[in-house]
Amino acid sequence: MPLLEVEKLTKRFGGLTAVNNVSFDVDEGEIVGLIGPNGAGKTTLFNLITGFLEPDSGTVKFKGEDITKLEPHQIVNKGIARTFQVVRPFRHLPAIANIIVSCVSPRGARKLEWLKSPARKALDMLELVGLSEMMFEPAENLAHGDLKRLEMAKALATEPDLLLLDEPFSGLNPIETDYLTKSIQRLHLDGYTMVIVEHKLHELMKLVRRVVVLHYGEKIAEGSPKEVSQDKKVIEVYMGRGI
Amino acid sequence: MVTRYLRRFYTSFATYILDIPPRLLALLLFLLALSVPLLLAGNVKGGDYYLRIFILANVNALFAASWDILVGRAGQISLGHALFFGIGAYSSAIFATSFGLPPWITLALSVPFGVLVAFLVGFPSMRVRGPYLALVSLAFPLILIRLSWLESPINIKAVMGGDFGVQGIPKLISNGYTPLQVRIFEYYFSLLLLCVGSIVLYKIARSKTGIVFVSILDDELASKASGINTTKYKLLAFAISAFFASLAGGFYAHFMTGADLSTLLFGGPSKGLIVPGSFTVVIMTIFGGIGTIYGPIVGAYILSLLPLLLYKIIDVLSSLANLGLSIADIWNWTFLIYIVSVVGFVVAWQKGIAAYVVEKLDELTETEEIRKDRRKGKKGKKGKKRI
Repeated sequence: MPLLEVEKLTKRFGGLTAVNNVSFDVDEGEIVGLIGPNGAGKTTLFNLITGFLEPDSGTVKFKGEDITKLEPHQIVNKGIARTFQVVRPFRHLPAIANIIVSCVSPRGARKLEWLKSPARKALDMLELVGLSEMMFEPAENLAHGDLKRLEMAKALATEPDLLLLDEPFSGLNPIETDYLTKSIQRLHLDGYTMVIVEHKLHELMKLVRRVVVLHYGEKIAEGSPKEVSQDKKVIEVYMGRGI
Repeated sequence: MVTRYLRRFYTSFATYILDIPPRLLALLLFLLALSVPLLLAGNVKGGDYYLRIFILANVNALFAASWDILVGRAGQISLGHALFFGIGAYSSAIFATSFGLPPWITLALSVPFGVLVAFLVGFPSMRVRGPYLALVSLAFPLILIRLSWLESPINIKAVMGGDFGVQGIPKLISNGYTPLQVRIFEYYFSLLLLCVGSIVLYKIARSKTGIVFVSILDDELASKASGINTTKYKLLAFAISAFFASLAGGFYAHFMTGADLSTLLFGGPSKGLIVPGSFTVVIMTIFGGIGTIYGPIVGAYILSLLPLLLYKIIDVLSSLANLGLSIADIWNWTFLIYIVSVVGFVVAWQKGIAAYVVEKLDELTETEEIRKDRRKGKKGKKGKKRI
């Protein structure tokens, strides 16, 4: 049984159909890439899966359980965590407190190990993403790259089974990009299942085995990076029609 | 044995209180507050009246601190906070008159009613946020005022007393004491309520729950994405806030020996600010420092005492310069200068006067620590904990 099953998901905003009849599965332990040009509906799809938007039709199943109608925080506590395309730190709180929030959530707290306080766990998470130096720095003083890592730590602290990353590479310099690629690979080895939305195809293709391509809200291709990059429709969408 | 414990107590006292300038300042102010009746009662002409101002300052401070945890920490803007104060005052008064319960029990009963109303008000308020919530919250006290005038089909006016409110409820202690003794007792009791209330609020604000509150203030959606049931935490913030606001209201009713509509509108009329009480707390909190818990307390004290001080100064000046101002004119000048200076302070120190002072004091220790570290050859502390 796949970990996540998305079936015929549709979302309309007025006359615009942002996501149209999209279905795909994610198996346990794999990394799936979700690509497509601007406005293809990738982020909308994420919002539908995580409960931030309610779909007009279609269902989302996680571990065989229908989660379509659940609230965002309920879905997080089922085990799906997400990061945002534009970082959303709690800017008044120091870095460590940003993560304590996740550790206080029912799932984050339930999975606290024996004799481990939320603060201790938050510190471990900061060390995992390499931010422990900044732990008392208010989030509003952190640089963009650090905020991206903080965002990742916040998601990981909820102990997810499935991690949805929305453009994790945007705005990172080459060194940070390299670091993030390595972290994602390490998480993959640890057994995390991930769906990654990304524009930087070069970075993404290094990570994923399977890619789903969206265009104007519709799924136009699915397959290994090689298959997808040779797909006529995909080339047309990305490069334009040949003369 | 005893000396060992005493020594241990002193060392912890010295490290946790005396070594931290803001806490030392708080301790000094607390000792000053303890000695207020000794300085005023009997020694100063009209000391009884001044003591009354101090008691109102205590009540307002607790009220403002309770507003601060809801708005400054959890970010749920409430402009109708006098509702909880009024509910506390009215329930205390009604239990005392209609049911004839003794004052201590009515004071304790006022709290669950405030919390109950917080849940009633909280549920519809969960649907709106920001300025819309502010508007919605503004309406609730007005609803209660209308209800208190209602005569049929249910005669609520008979219970709530309409315009006059519920009068003639007993003071907390009455038998066999002189009025001055009662007043001194009331002062110490209000100080106790303020201290316990503000310490509890401060501890909550710095706890895990307090961190979650601030996350809701900063970004509610991101808080949900961290797996937080924001509705639950917002209701909790309403309940905590209403707990202390209604406690302040219950005490106020016994202090004034009655609860009337002013508790809903004015939330305890401090002589200084003739604006509806839901807004007095806003002004006091922003003046002192929003989101700090200690800020509103400082704000309430300064804003309650400043007019008296200004009045005295202008009185002395006018008699020195032979201006011959009438009493009404002295008051007019007092409030003119008062309002202008409050505006000036708020513009100059937007973070609030108490937050500004604490920040300066913190900088003092910070540099001291860095200096010590440098002497030992360590790297200075990189950041500073803000919460």
